[in-house]
Amino acid sequence: MENQPVDHKKENRFELLKELLLTEDRKEFESLRNEFLKKEDFKNEVKPVLDDKIDDLKNNFPLYFGDQVTQSIKVQIRESQDEVVEALYPIMGKLIQKFIVAEITKLSDTINKTINDKFSLTHIVKRLFKGKKTDAEDVLQTVFASTIEEVFVIEENSGLLIGSYSRGNIADKDMISGMLTAIKSFAEDAFSKQGQDLEDIKFETFQLSMYNFKSIYIATATSGVITSEFKEELADNLNSLAEKILRDRSYLADEIRLNSLIEEILIKVPA
Amino acid sequence: MIAKKVLLVGNFGVGKTSLIRQFVLNEFSEDYISTIGVRVSTKIVNLNDEQIKLLIWDVAGTKDDEKVPKAYFLGASAAMYVFDLNREETYLNLKNQLETVKQLSGLKDVLVVGNKKDLLTPNEIEQVKQIIKIPVDLITSAKENQNVEDAFAILAKQSLK
Repeated sequence: MENQPVDHKKENRFELLKELLLTEDRKEFESLRNEFLKKEDFKNEVKPVLDDKIDDLKNNFPLYFGDQVTQSIKVQIRESQDEVVEALYPIMGKLIQKFIVAEITKLSDTINKTINDKFSLTHIVKRLFKGKKTDAEDVLQTVFASTIEEVFVIEENSGLLIGSYSRGNIADKDMISGMLTAIKSFAEDAFSKQGQDLEDIKFETFQLSMYNFKSIYIATATSGVITSEFKEELADNLNSLAEKILRDRSYLADEIRLNSLIEEILIKVPA
Repeated sequence: MIAKKVLLVGNFGVGKTSLIRQFVLNEFSEDYISTIGVRVSTKIVNLNDEQIKLLIWDVAGTKDDEKVPKAYFLGASAAMYVFDLNREETYLNLKNQLETVKQLSGLKDVLVVGNKKDLLTPNEIEQVKQIIKIPVDLITSAKENQNVEDAFAILAKQSLK
């Protein structure tokens, strides 16, 4: 077979044609390439700045937008109170129900235990010799035992605190004894006939009782069910305490000694 | 620590509660504070290297029509009578008021303090002093915290007498 000679002229023409036809495409390609590279550069430039800004927003969002968000939530809640109540009601209801069930279970356990104890053989024997206390009183007292929470021994007129005992953590006992004396004076001045004293102030969960002696009065705060038996015992103990203090007046000038005496007589802590 | 009951007496709005606030809490409320009956606050002061706990009874007034229980005045070791330099009705009857406080509390001396000095010029203050005739122990301003500490220091000193 004979080799065909290469037609260089023809080939050059084809190259020329290619050149002519693709010049526009090449230019477009070049421009797109440049644009892409520019975008990459821009991205590289901007990225760290944006990252910083995003971090700053993450960390300080409440500072920048807290007020606006709170305001808009407030408005939202105000405008859709009914929906909020509707949404929260079942949740709150369930929580309250759960709490009540837990408390009632605890209470019924305690009552069961107390009743079992009360009807034990030993207790039945004891009951034969018991005084005026009823079974209901007995159970109530065991379940909701009275506890002396606070004791204040206060100078009658000045309201100055002489001694005290506290189960909790009262901030300024002097101020409380002062205010207590003021309230006592006010109530006695406003409501009582001559010679009568304010004795009890009742709160929901505890009772404040004031026992008046010659130059001092003793205020006690008691929680739980206050039975007549407890009251009698407390009055007896308070009388003993006042007698000891007034017989030996050095207690009035020695707060630490007086505080131990209060614990020994009223709280029954061994001296 | 020694504890003493001290009284602060004077008409409504003379600035007793503000004086106490400035002294006890070191702050002053711009609101008009009127006292109902009595309010007790405490403050520990140092006097001659000794600490004294002051039980400050802020008493509303002394007039019979103000229905202040007389028992508020009992057992006090010192008393401060406060009047408003800017309101004549709070100091016109000062002599009688002081006598009433002395009678009710059994105290021989009562510290006399004119408050709200920030509302008057020195000349006007002098004029008020001339009208009162009774020596005024201190001129104070609860709002600008002027002489407040001094007034209570004198009161603490009197309580030890």
